[in-house]
Amino acid sequence: MRLYWPSEQGSAASSSCKRTKEECRLAFDLIERTRVQRDRRNLMALLLPGLLWLLLFFALPLLIILLYSFIVSGPRGNLIWQATVGNYTDLFTRAIYLNAYLRSIWISLLTTLICLLLGYPLALFIVRQPPHVRTLLLFLVLIPFWTNFLVRIYAWQIILANNGLINSSLRALGFAPIQLLNTEGATLIGLVYGDLPFMVLPLYAAIDRFDFTLMEAAADLGASRRQAFLRVMVPLTMPGIVAGSVLVFIPTLGQFVVSELLGGAKVDYLGNLIQRLFLRSNPPNWPLGSAMAIVMMLLLLAFILWYFRISREEDR
Amino acid sequence: MNWTRRTILLFAMLLPLLVACGNSSTDSPGNEYGSAPVAESPAAAPASDGVDRTKLASELYFYNWSDYIDPETLELFEQEYGVRVIYDTYDANEDMIAKVRAGNSGYDIVVPSDYAVQTMVDEELVQPLDKSLLTNLGAMSQNYLGIYFDPENRYSVPYLLGLTGIAYNREFFPNGVDSWSALFDPANLSAIQGKFSMLEDERETPGAALKFLGQSLNTTDPATLRQAQDLLIAQKPFLSAYNSSDVNRKLASGEYLIAHAWSGQAMQARNGLGDEFSGNPAIDFVIPKEGGTIWMDNLVILNDSPNAYTAHVFINFLMRPEIAARNAGYVGYITPNAAAVPLLPQEVQDLYAAGFAPNEELLKRLEWIERSAETVAFTDLWTAVKGE
Amino acid sequence: MSQTANRVTTPAIERGRLTWSGVSLSLHAVLIYLFLYLPILVLIIFSFTRDAFGVRWTGFTLDWYVRLFNDERLMGASVNTLLVASVSTLVSTILGTLMAMAMERYQFRGREGVEALIYLPVVVPEIVMAVALLAFSALVFDLINALTGQVLRRNLTTVTIAHIAFNMSFVVVVVRTSLRHFDRRLEEAAADLGADSWQTFWRVTFPLILPGIIGGALMAFTLSLDDFVISLFLSGPGTSLLPVEVYSRVRRAITPEINAISTLMLLLSITLVLLSQLLQRRR
Repeated sequence: MRLYWPSEQGSAASSSCKRTKEECRLAFDLIERTRVQRDRRNLMALLLPGLLWLLLFFALPLLIILLYSFIVSGPRGNLIWQATVGNYTDLFTRAIYLNAYLRSIWISLLTTLICLLLGYPLALFIVRQPPHVRTLLLFLVLIPFWTNFLVRIYAWQIILANNGLINSSLRALGFAPIQLLNTEGATLIGLVYGDLPFMVLPLYAAIDRFDFTLMEAAADLGASRRQAFLRVMVPLTMPGIVAGSVLVFIPTLGQFVVSELLGGAKVDYLGNLIQRLFLRSNPPNWPLGSAMAIVMMLLLLAFILWYFRISREEDR
Repeated sequence: MNWTRRTILLFAMLLPLLVACGNSSTDSPGNEYGSAPVAESPAAAPASDGVDRTKLASELYFYNWSDYIDPETLELFEQEYGVRVIYDTYDANEDMIAKVRAGNSGYDIVVPSDYAVQTMVDEELVQPLDKSLLTNLGAMSQNYLGIYFDPENRYSVPYLLGLTGIAYNREFFPNGVDSWSALFDPANLSAIQGKFSMLEDERETPGAALKFLGQSLNTTDPATLRQAQDLLIAQKPFLSAYNSSDVNRKLASGEYLIAHAWSGQAMQARNGLGDEFSGNPAIDFVIPKEGGTIWMDNLVILNDSPNAYTAHVFINFLMRPEIAARNAGYVGYITPNAAAVPLLPQEVQDLYAAGFAPNEELLKRLEWIERSAETVAFTDLWTAVKGE
Repeated sequence: MSQTANRVTTPAIERGRLTWSGVSLSLHAVLIYLFLYLPILVLIIFSFTRDAFGVRWTGFTLDWYVRLFNDERLMGASVNTLLVASVSTLVSTILGTLMAMAMERYQFRGREGVEALIYLPVVVPEIVMAVALLAFSALVFDLINALTGQVLRRNLTTVTIAHIAFNMSFVVVVVRTSLRHFDRRLEEAAADLGADSWQTFWRVTFPLILPGIIGGALMAFTLSLDDFVISLFLSGPGTSLLPVEVYSRVRRAITPEINAISTLMLLLSITLVLLSQLLQRRR
């Protein structure tokens, strides 16, 4: 009933083999076959419940969206079941849509980078605390996120507004107030604020597993702290960095609330545009919105799979 | 060793939540984990108002715009007829239509705006009204019956209506405002930089620009739309935000000096909203001389409603002059109920007279926003403006 | 070699010398926590203000809390949300952890496909998933209606099902990270000492990956609490959820009442954390 790497099964079986070649092969086959069967059963027990759930309540519904992206939108926002690739050609040929993609990718990258720069030292700090402090600090990162996101974003409005906390303080100190709310900077603050824990949690998990004696070993071998950090710690905590970046980058690409409330709804990102095409346009254009979402998802999925393969190869 | 501590930690986290959940069904109504069966149950004594109480359902599902009714109205209905109104809200016609279109929404009555009524009729989502049950229909002003989207009011009756124009703070504009140039003329913009908003709406806002250009807001002429787009792009750097939601509050608190707004938002900014915030008497509302928008929200009964009779009774109840006046007074939008106007609080009646509601002269300057296959052009226009 | 050993020793070594990087790390942490808690402070303070706009301090009052408790809609929505979040967190954490183990420990055909499927919910914009699930639920309900004559409606169950599908992926991502560097020799050692795979899992594997599981569960809970679009589309009549209720209220005018419910939710989560810490300390 032991769980083995598939590659280890062979070696475990062959090492128990001390008789003739033929007997050995038979024994090996038998063991191998039961192992494989047992493994298969275990695998199915682990995999199937979640997999079925995802297939039924996720993949299947998503097929509907895929269908929508190849049909025509009616004059009242209704769906006309008539095949077309027009939605896709629109997306790839019209500057207003291409720009929306580029804008969104840019701000998401920026958000991810800032979250990483802020999150890594924090995760490191947390890992280096004694266990009970560590749990507390971890919870402290999450607690703000147990209040409604929208309410917290509104709190940022109160802080950043023209007559808000920061500007009143500036005025009281004799400085000129600055326009903070309804700028791209405000959007960025809101995005980083909203996504930081999604970076910190996986980073924490990765750094927690990191063997700090390796840093000392690197130092013994003459590496500077900086070198040791970049050459040893960063590669070994890469799964956390990747997971965190993925968890931050993706929702940011699809967000629409932050740019609406802190950015003054002045600039449309992909999320705003998709949201609008589905629900705010007159008439709504579900097929175009679907196509836009499908393209975005495929881009992201390709990016993720490639990234995970890279990090997996580095792992070995 | 360590893991037992952490398991307990996990359970400790979840336990109070589970306890909270256990109580849920007794705490408050309407949170059953399953769907509530809707039974037509016979109720108390018959009355003289023509309503057959034995035909009333025990519950009625009403899906309305958020903040669009005086909550006490629902209690009054429940007291009078013994029907519990289960009330949910939405923030855009498209949200509501999406849910209704999918079928089995579970609602009896919804409140689509003008063009949305047309959409819902075309897609057979609503059922014809039985006018014999709507005895209060006579109280409605003729101005608001038989509009283009439902020429004979077969499917809908008006609920509340509003105008789109300019709300401004009289302390900053002592001479008043009478033209869209206050929001579009570059000479006027630097003085209000960062202190005004336009509606976040892909028809209303380009519509305002079109009105400033002296055009119909339903035009789809590419050259004219291009001009409107350029105007909006030129205006954008001065803008505080595109905002359709809390314009009322930001006008009242002085954060905005002037705003492209719905009349009801302007009235809420001036009079306050319920006991949620207090008003600012310096706020005024105007339909600019170039013209503005009129729109109306309407009560309809869904095709798959099992409680059509009760729904009619409820709609008729909402059309009672005293109930209509109560709602309009609370919400701040305009009642289409002519008999209700004299029952409104005096200050609201004064505001109606002062341009917060249409009169014969004003109606000529107002235009309905219509939707057609060509108006898709506005989606592109708005995307281009938002992309700058 | 054991994980716990280096966990205890390393901080001790680090704490011994007060390095420049140690100080700046602490300072950084303080600033980040300030950043995270500034809006929370604002929110709590303004739940006690007399100012109905909820943006100015004009005096202390508890009125908003009284109003909140009389507000059946908001209270009902809060209970609904906690219910959905708890159930969906529990189920998605279990299914997600199992899936993560399958993905990390087995090679099998179609792995790439499963991998893609797992990350799909992470990349799909919420609105798209909401629309897809709405259309799907309509289809399924029609089918059930045709087959059995039953008329079904969307309710909290539909929301919970959707949340589980959505949350599971996030759990898988986080749990996999902690499985990635898991020392398999510990399990082998347990097995050599005669533990069956069930015992090995509960006594060895589970404790070691628990931080990852808790992280995943917390993330799922957070996501579920905040989800607005899917909740809006998949809830049925009379079963409104807190984010939906808050969204429509907050859009036109945030009132201290909303600050008050947020403060209470916060209080609840802090109580939970303190409770768990207390339990941990006592052991």
